[in-house]
Amino acid sequence: MKGKNFEIVSVAQDTGGAKDAGPWITREKLDYTVLIDDQHVVTQLYGMVNVPTAVWINEQGRIVRPGEVAYVDDRYKAFHHVEAAPYLDAIRDWAENGDRSRYAPGEAELKERLKPQGPERGMADAEFALAEYLHKKGFNGDAIAHFKEAQRLAPDNWNYKRQAWALGDAERDYGTGFMNEVKKLNGKPYYEPRRLPEATPKKN
Amino acid sequence: MLKVCLCAAVLCFAAVIAMASEPGRRVVIYDGVATEVTAPADAASDLWVTMADLKRATRFEVKPQGVCRDTLCFPLPKSRKAEFVAKKGAATWFNLSAFARLINQPAARDERHAVWYFGPRSEEAASRLSSLEAPDFTLPDLGGKPHSLADFRGKKVLLLTWASW
Repeated sequence: MKGKNFEIVSVAQDTGGAKDAGPWITREKLDYTVLIDDQHVVTQLYGMVNVPTAVWINEQGRIVRPGEVAYVDDRYKAFHHVEAAPYLDAIRDWAENGDRSRYAPGEAELKERLKPQGPERGMADAEFALAEYLHKKGFNGDAIAHFKEAQRLAPDNWNYKRQAWALGDAERDYGTGFMNEVKKLNGKPYYEPRRLPEATPKKN
Repeated sequence: MLKVCLCAAVLCFAAVIAMASEPGRRVVIYDGVATEVTAPADAASDLWVTMADLKRATRFEVKPQGVCRDTLCFPLPKSRKAEFVAKKGAATWFNLSAFARLINQPAARDERHAVWYFGPRSEEAASRLSSLEAPDFTLPDLGGKPHSLADFRGKKVLLLTWASW
């Protein structure tokens, strides 16, 4: 999609920074901008709840499609059952048509989907940030209580669960793990669901 | 994985010995920046800082019109001034945690390490997305070179998060 005035900015949400995210970046030989966010700044600024999540931003720096699950391939489809193809089609349509794309929701829907989150999310963000600070200072054990508090305050934020679990032994420190928690949901999504408009019949 | 855990545990142990928090010191993290400040001798549950530390750690200053930073000013309720400003010994102290409550700013605290973290005010966080302006940020690439979202103005940007975990 070069030449369509379209860029991918990919941001790793990794407390371990380049140490954890680096090998993935090197292995995949990506030809777009890849940044490292070791304080989950983007997750907090955009109120995200899991990865992969994508937001569409137009040429004027305005959000035209809010955060939602953004699988761009079918690598883990057997697990999450979200097909990548309709989302890739939507991205291509937007790259072509910009704000006029049928995949760019109107302002009313945007405002509805971007409505402010409660004060608990702010408290959760603070607890998570404090936990990250302690973890980076080497106080891994003392960070756990704050990671847990962040998870309690923002139970729908899978980013805060999965990151904390990955920093140690999830079973030992949190008495659970990703597979176990997903199972408990009984098929309910653990991400912000994708809300693409219904497909229109293809023109012949 | 086991190797990583063991290493982390050893590091943690070493760090605890090296960095046991000194009495009378606190760490204040404000706007993402950590600053070490002096704490008063009495063990209060609130975070009192000197006027000098207030400015150093938060850039806020107590002025006649309120607690101010740049063009932003929060007046202190007249009847409750003693909750926020107090003379103790030679210094004048400011209650930063009470101020956070006053302006709806989330705060998290770790008692053992004497660290206080202050996040953005709820109003600030709420207005961030409802304006539909994409919040800007600056982050490094793998080579350490910083990039801002604003650098991409004039282009459509698919902002995509992922993680190693």
